[in-house]
Amino acid sequence: MNYAVLVVPDFALHALRRSDPSLRGRPVALVAGEGRRARVTQASPEARGVAPGLAATLAMSRCPGIVLRPPDPASEVEAGRLLVAAGFTLSPRVEATAPGCCTVDLRGADPARTEALMRLRAAEIACAGLPLRAGAGATPLLASYAARLADPVLVVSDARGFLAPLPLAFAEPTAVQEGILAGWGIATLGGLTALPKAEVGRRLGADGALLWERAAGEATRVLRHVEPARSFAAEWAYEPPVESTEPLFFKLRRYAERIALELRGAGFVADRLSLTLLLEDESDHRREFRLPEPGADVDGWLRVLGSHLEGVRTQARVAGVRLVASPARPPERQEGLFDTGLRDPASFWENIARIAAIVGDDRVGTPACADTHRPDAFTMGRPAESVAPALRAPVHPEYGPTLRRFRPPWPVRVAFDGGSPARLEGGRLEGGVRAATGPWLAAGDWWRPEAWAAETWQVELAAGGVYQLARTAGGWCVEGMLD
Amino acid sequence: MPVPAPSQTVSDLRSLLAARFPERARRPHGGVPASVRAVDEALGGGLPAGRLTELVCAAPSSGGQTILASLLAATQAARQRIALVDGSDAFAPGSVPADLLRHLVWVRCRAPGQAFSAADILVRDGNYAVVALDLRGCAERALRRTPASLWYRLQRAAEGGSVAVLVQTPFPLVPAVPARLVLDRPMSLADADAERGDVAARLGVRADRAHLQAAEERLAG
Repeated sequence: MNYAVLVVPDFALHALRRSDPSLRGRPVALVAGEGRRARVTQASPEARGVAPGLAATLAMSRCPGIVLRPPDPASEVEAGRLLVAAGFTLSPRVEATAPGCCTVDLRGADPARTEALMRLRAAEIACAGLPLRAGAGATPLLASYAARLADPVLVVSDARGFLAPLPLAFAEPTAVQEGILAGWGIATLGGLTALPKAEVGRRLGADGALLWERAAGEATRVLRHVEPARSFAAEWAYEPPVESTEPLFFKLRRYAERIALELRGAGFVADRLSLTLLLEDESDHRREFRLPEPGADVDGWLRVLGSHLEGVRTQARVAGVRLVASPARPPERQEGLFDTGLRDPASFWENIARIAAIVGDDRVGTPACADTHRPDAFTMGRPAESVAPALRAPVHPEYGPTLRRFRPPWPVRVAFDGGSPARLEGGRLEGGVRAATGPWLAAGDWWRPEAWAAETWQVELAAGGVYQLARTAGGWCVEGMLD
Repeated sequence: MPVPAPSQTVSDLRSLLAARFPERARRPHGGVPASVRAVDEALGGGLPAGRLTELVCAAPSSGGQTILASLLAATQAARQRIALVDGSDAFAPGSVPADLLRHLVWVRCRAPGQAFSAADILVRDGNYAVVALDLRGCAERALRRTPASLWYRLQRAAEGGSVAVLVQTPFPLVPAVPARLVLDRPMSLADADAERGDVAARLGVRADRAHLQAAEERLAG
């Protein structure tokens, strides 16, 4: 197994159906030409009685309700990129042989693993709307024969036995050659290769020898390798612009499938997604999503994007979308023997990402106090995979109730009596002070532009409640409630 | 024909429902101790897993945040994960020891809608022992307009799971909640000098079963 060929039969038709959800389950045919000369080139299985070559008018009469469409180059390009991306997940040497066909050089790969990968990829690409057929063999030609007969994967290990019963048409003889060979009573590849190659060449010329080689599956060639994807992005337009999320999600899934496959083919996963909605009024709505757990799972991406899009309201209709995935190396980790890890890591990270899409990337995570005495200084970090055991009890126990912060702090006027706060006025909190303790003076970062200083008091109001007051450069404020 | 007492009718109805829907009638498995004696006693051992518990902080400085800090300590000791859905972004990381933050996932919301969406996701996650939904500080009007269906959805999501859901509210809000505790005694400034454990031990917690009794009376006709 040196080569694999990935083929999508009726590629243009499937590429079109993949890009247009309205064609799902309906009889569809691609037509070429205009007017009375329009002919069907490819037809879906639902279009009963319609076959390639049939006049468009005849197709409409034979299959009422059939949708006739011209080929869509943009959808073919996108589907072609998906196919090539699938090839790159098998090997780094891939040739875009023809529309809907790519050849992969598998030399050096583990055959058992490659066959399993091909089956997996065929199933994935089928889910993505392209019925992929994959064949593998010793030469590109043999692999292409296998791909034509695959369902969905066929690996040829015994070339002679595989080729022998195949009809002569597989080797693509000319009409003259076909007539001569029929006169000799030869109808299969095995029948032709049973003859000595030199004798066939002597009677049919050089072309006859080439035909013999094709029939034996021996014809080999140098592949024209394509460059793997360097950027992992997609941009598409809506004509007419859309104003609901359904068409957005459909196309997002289609393009995300290709981007994810390109990432996997390059050995990457995505750690960030950038989504830009290009609006009809030439403005745009851009949002970047940091994925807590880098990955190339399309469903996970869409759940993150969906959580955000469900809450988005734009001033104008969406005329286009741009999706960019930032590549990163897959995370590697080794858990400790006694760590209490996550029950369902995939769900955990996916849900963190979904929540981040709702509240913002910087507003979900595990807090950690910053290395400063500045009030309310903390950072939000990535949650730990496992819950570490508690450290030993602190030498000094915690005192007092826990602070509940008001963000932003509530401005207030403080009336003093005898050097301590006596009454709060003019803010969301008013009333006489029953008891007060303080002040605690603190300052820091004086060597930086963002120097800070605060005078802090704790007061108990006559109406109930213990609050923390602070005087900063901005004046007095209620920082929070001791609760 | 003698008319059975309302309590007997309700008891019969419960028995019937338990026989008909054994899955629903099953008691929640386990619980998460809050490490606050009054709370654990009122709840029969701790926050019940698979159920919602409403903690009404009816008075200022009544100890809701202290109970949250105790929960952080209790879950850390049990090496469990806890999520705090902070409806008004009021949690102060600096007011609890750094060691008690490492197992916390803190969601800083800007509006009650975000908090409900996040809680709905987290309750279904399966990786958390406790999901605390703190709705104190949210606009009262927005909270009162919360549709009851949203609460029932949250309750259904928690049922059968292993997560204990604690909802902190400024006034009774959750309809048909299985357990509602009320904190209505404000602390004093003197508590600021007490050890936090003592502060938690002195909290005034009472179980509120008025809503359940009212529901039972309605059922009994």
